[in-house]
Amino acid sequence: MDSLVIAGKSFRSRLFIGTGKFASTSVMAAAIEASGTEMVTVALRRVDIQNPCDDMLSAIDRTRYQLLPNTSGARDAAEAVRLARLARAASGIHWVKLEVTPDPYYLLPDGTETLKAAETLVKEGFVVLPYIHADPVLAKRLQEVGCATVMPLASPIGSNQGMRTKDSIAIIIEQATVPVVVDAGLGAPSHAAEAMEMGADAVLVNTAIATAADPVRMAAAFKQAVEAGRLAYEAGLPPKSTTAQASSPLTGFLRNE
Amino acid sequence: MDEIRTILAQKNLDHDRQVWTEQMLRIRPEDVQRELSVPAGKYSFRRLLTLLSPAAEGFLEEMAQQAARLTVQRFGRTIQLYAPLYVSNVCVNSCRYCGYNRHTVFERTRLSIEEALADAEVIAEEGFRHLLLVSGEDRSFVTTVYLAELAARLRRRFSSLSVEIYPMTQEEYRTLFEAGIDGVTLYQETYDRAAYAYYHPAGPKQDYDRRLQAPDRFASAGMRRIGLGVLLGLTDWRLETLALAEHAAYLMKRYWRSQVSFSFPRLRPALGTPSDWPHLLSDRNLVQMMLALRLCFADAGIVLSTRERAQLRDHLVDLCVTSMSAGSKTNPGGYTGHDDTAEQFVVADTRTPAQIAQMIRSKGKDPVWKDWDAAFARSEVFS
Amino acid sequence: MSWTLKINGTPQTFEPSEQPATLADLLKQLQMDKAAVVAEVDGQVVPREHFAQTVLRDGQSIELIRFVGGG
Repeated sequence: MDSLVIAGKSFRSRLFIGTGKFASTSVMAAAIEASGTEMVTVALRRVDIQNPCDDMLSAIDRTRYQLLPNTSGARDAAEAVRLARLARAASGIHWVKLEVTPDPYYLLPDGTETLKAAETLVKEGFVVLPYIHADPVLAKRLQEVGCATVMPLASPIGSNQGMRTKDSIAIIIEQATVPVVVDAGLGAPSHAAEAMEMGADAVLVNTAIATAADPVRMAAAFKQAVEAGRLAYEAGLPPKSTTAQASSPLTGFLRNE
Repeated sequence: MDEIRTILAQKNLDHDRQVWTEQMLRIRPEDVQRELSVPAGKYSFRRLLTLLSPAAEGFLEEMAQQAARLTVQRFGRTIQLYAPLYVSNVCVNSCRYCGYNRHTVFERTRLSIEEALADAEVIAEEGFRHLLLVSGEDRSFVTTVYLAELAARLRRRFSSLSVEIYPMTQEEYRTLFEAGIDGVTLYQETYDRAAYAYYHPAGPKQDYDRRLQAPDRFASAGMRRIGLGVLLGLTDWRLETLALAEHAAYLMKRYWRSQVSFSFPRLRPALGTPSDWPHLLSDRNLVQMMLALRLCFADAGIVLSTRERAQLRDHLVDLCVTSMSAGSKTNPGGYTGHDDTAEQFVVADTRTPAQIAQMIRSKGKDPVWKDWDAAFARSEVFS
Repeated sequence: MSWTLKINGTPQTFEPSEQPATLADLLKQLQMDKAAVVAEVDGQVVPREHFAQTVLRDGQSIELIRFVGGG
């Protein structure tokens, strides 16, 4: 299978993993390994002064997995930019998953603030992977300002509902000039396979793996689903038929030629 | 994303194109049926190649039914009307196929601003609100200053102005855009480099790349409407359509706020040009080309000029056409009764605009003289 | 004279005997591994190698942030 290229970097795995919601750091590490991923997201949070705990980052082997800091928690462009700069200062990584989610209930992304932040961050030399609703025009605008991918949601974060925004994602894929990573709401390996069969370049999964009864095996299942979906896409899925309804003949006039 | 020269070169669409002829010959009826069994309107190179193949000729009726339905779905039961206004038939090029070739001896005409406005007034009186300004390659007279002044004066009378003129720089296109022109039509004539060199032996038009990249320049200068086409009859029409489609798909991705339209100029008799051409299209070929493009580009305009004869135009209205000219004069001053000036090509459909409108209505469609969207969008610019 | 430093949004008072002279000192006092911490003083990111040279003053606002799991 061909490899995915984002901002000049090649990935053999088209499954990215989010590191939140795991019961423990060791389960997280085992699930990451089982998924075959090459990139994992991490967030930034204030240290709890009363209880400064150990560093989960040390559980992630940075020689095998690329870190992708996200700006989760940001409610506007200014906060997102600040978080991105902090992350870069802390890790030396200039890739960022741009997430601006002011609404605490559905955690849906604010497109206006995302675009603003993306413009600033691209100019500062970041490789920006923006998380958005499946809005095709917004996706084009983000590509225009120089984002390295677009990451439309399948359904709200943690909802596990699968590809609810399927038709819009299809348009985004059709019009994209950068890789499309379907992110958020993929609740089962079949959802991930569906996204890949449609032509998505990659998927990002967190909740479905972290909160599964057996996260390590679920990670392995997602790995297989992503590979199967991509293989099917490359093999060329047979078309589903549509029925036609004839009306009066339109090309009879050519018979005399 | 690769730019267009690279795309055409890598896909053998500007040279060594016989590989595609061979591929099209291998298309079987089952392959065509497969394409016709999926929802119409999305482009892939493979899909277009299949629909352009000789095997697809046996499916024209099915293609026509789908294309007609898709066109009504996307464009409604409407046909947009426009008129061309030729402002100059002076030309410094020597294109082998054109009546304006500089070596052809005839009296050349350039319309002053006032004369052009006089022709435009006749056009407006007929009901048109969409105007296409056309000229030969006459840079010394048809300058950006001339066009900008003309556009500024025409804007009061016409809600939409396009130009079909020689390739310009991005800055020049920007000047035109700011003067009120929002569309540019430019045919590559042929995408085959060798054929292009043969048919354009002298003059600025010799520069294939400059012409090919002009849509990039005018689209990035803001032009909302992009008119593409090839001169049908110069080389194999199937191969030209493949290249044309790749050009369109590239522009649609890159300049996603603009709309692409296809035109289908078929070689017509003209003063001083040869009368035997080895690649002329039959009506059947023309129909297949239009249908194949419509079935791959649900939202592209399909434009039909008065080069084609009346009966054919009438049948094509039922298929997938979205825009037509009517009552056209292709000689400068032709609208104000100057029948002595030279035409670019002989008009085959000589019906009046009112007759064309009547024909369109008789087919259950609405002739649209003025596109309200365009008028509204621009009204803020001109107070 | 006691100091007040706002740390992660919460004002904290430091008596003269326990005032951290530098950012590195503050982290040691809070028992934080500086390798795991990102720090901002008055809105400016402080690179880790400068923690020991970053002198603190009364009234400053300090953010101590670390990487955590996230989607």
